[in-house]
Amino acid sequence: MNKYLLSGCALALGTGTAFAHITLETQEAAVGSTYKAILRVPHGCEGKATTAVRVQIPEGVISVKPMPKPGWTLQVKKGKYEKSYQLYGEAVTSGVREVDWSGGSLPDEFYDEFVFRGTLAADLPAGQTLYFPVVQECDGAADRWIEIPAAGQDEDALEYPAPGIKLLPKK
Amino acid sequence: MISLAARSVGGAGRRLRGSDMSVASFQWTTCRFGKRAGWLAIGLATIMLLAVIAAPNQAFAHAALVTADPADGMVLGQSPTQFSLTFSEPVSPLVLTLVRPDGTPLPLTAFRLNDQTVEIDNPRTLGPGTHVLSWRVISADGHPVGGSVLFSIGAPSAAPIVSEAVDWGLRSAIWTGRVLLYIGLFLGVGGAFAIAWLAKGGRSGQRFAIAAMLCGLVAAPLSLGFQGLDALGAPLTHLSQPVVWQTGLGTSFGWTVLIALIALGLGLFSLVGPRADARLFALAGLASVGAALAASGHASAAEPQWLTRPMVFLHGVGIAFWAGALAPLGLAVRRQPAEAGLFLHRFSQAILPVVAVLAATGIALAVIQVQAPAALLGTAYGRLLLVKLALLFFLFTLAATNRWKLTAPAEAGETEVQRRLVRSIGVEMLIVLAIFGVAAGWRFTPPPRALAIAAAQPASIHIHTPKAMADLSITPGHAGPVSASIVVMTGDFGPLDARQVTLVLSKPDSGIEPIKRPATKPGDGTWRVDDLVIPVAGRWTARLDILVSDFEMVKIEAQIDIRAE
Repeated sequence: MNKYLLSGCALALGTGTAFAHITLETQEAAVGSTYKAILRVPHGCEGKATTAVRVQIPEGVISVKPMPKPGWTLQVKKGKYEKSYQLYGEAVTSGVREVDWSGGSLPDEFYDEFVFRGTLAADLPAGQTLYFPVVQECDGAADRWIEIPAAGQDEDALEYPAPGIKLLPKK
Repeated sequence: MISLAARSVGGAGRRLRGSDMSVASFQWTTCRFGKRAGWLAIGLATIMLLAVIAAPNQAFAHAALVTADPADGMVLGQSPTQFSLTFSEPVSPLVLTLVRPDGTPLPLTAFRLNDQTVEIDNPRTLGPGTHVLSWRVISADGHPVGGSVLFSIGAPSAAPIVSEAVDWGLRSAIWTGRVLLYIGLFLGVGGAFAIAWLAKGGRSGQRFAIAAMLCGLVAAPLSLGFQGLDALGAPLTHLSQPVVWQTGLGTSFGWTVLIALIALGLGLFSLVGPRADARLFALAGLASVGAALAASGHASAAEPQWLTRPMVFLHGVGIAFWAGALAPLGLAVRRQPAEAGLFLHRFSQAILPVVAVLAATGIALAVIQVQAPAALLGTAYGRLLLVKLALLFFLFTLAATNRWKLTAPAEAGETEVQRRLVRSIGVEMLIVLAIFGVAAGWRFTPPPRALAIAAAQPASIHIHTPKAMADLSITPGHAGPVSASIVVMTGDFGPLDARQVTLVLSKPDSGIEPIKRPATKPGDGTWRVDDLVIPVAGRWTARLDILVSDFEMVKIEAQIDIRAE
């Protein structure tokens, strides 16, 4: 009962802060499933237009494919995973580690979304939060949504929290 | 009109004769006692050399505590095996005490000196609660400095009470010793010089000068013992302990006492020894008075040393010349008015340049010590200086009246004027004694210069976490405009090439929003934040946001104490 109450509170707070922070639209997903990440960018940095959005793909998120966006140059940086993952019976050891949308211009007063999809590895720890650190670049400034709460720290205390999703048990 | 002209011609004639004779007698003395004079010169040179050798060691201001381990306010999980105190300059510890939570003191006797750090062994396992590490060290200028560091084991408790009561008995003893030493040096040795060089064979004031010098001979060693007691923080009853005297001798004041004893000896010998050598001994004594004063004290320890030490020397010699001549002169005019005319004449001729040197060196030293005019009223040192200036004003008024109104008629033998002059000289003596009393009071007041140096010391902390560590120092460590210097390292002391470092200062209890400033990289491996203003003193939380890579930021924080301005 308490748990539901708490998550209810968290949800309420989550929506409250969603206006200010870069967040993910879908805030929970089951491990072993495919996840469509929709990054919501509500404003620029300190009033300036956003010119680039870069996402670091956390360990355990494999087979990532970003969605191209008109007016933005899409790039991915590939690298080795820390370990080998099984995907449709095959071993996967490397893939996309960072997705960059750059060269665009999203004025502070407009809203936009940046989308990619990936597979959440089956051995990710259910019940925990998986964070996708984001760097939002503007003309001569940058907001780094990369803060991850330490154990026991309240996420709301962070100034620039990294967007994250709650991992649910495998269906 | 005619008589006035005649008198002035006569005066000029006498002046000529006087100087001829003094040169002749000097040459005679030198030839006749060339050997002795040579020894004397060697002795004099040795005194100067000693003063110069002692000088570099004293080229510092009061020492200030830079860091302590455990740091002030720190809460430790368990009893530390040792403590360490790092100062702004090398120091020697005098008294180290640990006061336990129940108020019982534990003397800490085992320590090692490591450059500017004092490492102290902790002899006991400490129980829970707040402890006070009380320290008393001596810095190179010979003045003891004390302070304390509070730390807690487990959790803080109410801080034990450490009594830092002023020992008024000892203070009075130190002050009296100083005044008597000044009397011996300035009135005694200065008097001997006046008798030998100015009195022209008259011996008026000889007994007075001898009495003053004997007074100084008693006061000088006693002052050394008092200095030792003060340095150790021990009460007057410990005066007989050898360690007290060793401590006193080990301070720069030890040099002052040694040279003062030489000066007193030379002065006495010039009066009771062979007349032929009197002048040389008196001159060496006068020079030694200056050297004794230049060997220790606030003014001698001030920078720049090449300027302050010679100025203290000249100031001391000037005081001895002036103050020393007063008693023999007054007594001569009262007792042998007939012969006193020449004495009075010589003194009044010589005193103008002497006063000029006194004033010039005094003003220069005051400017160096006080720095800002506001400190004249704002510090105890400055207020004493104002009192001294007021006394000097009266003294100069009297002296000018004597010099320009009374001297000429007194020289001419007008008895009523001579009586007035004697009275006036008597009052001058009293004012001089009062000035000695004020000057001796400076022993207890650090000059604004030293206070400013202490205030400019940075507040520093070391932050250590497994992910990263940093040294943060805020200079000066008090409220107001400051700059911060930051060195970041990885948690295992490796280099950390941060992309960006941000300093966040917050003080939640003051209602001030966090002050957030990005640091810049001047290129010397550090990070700096300039143009920072810390609005209030107290305990601030300093957080460093270290951007390790594009997507990784490490935040470390610790408490830092900012002093009041």
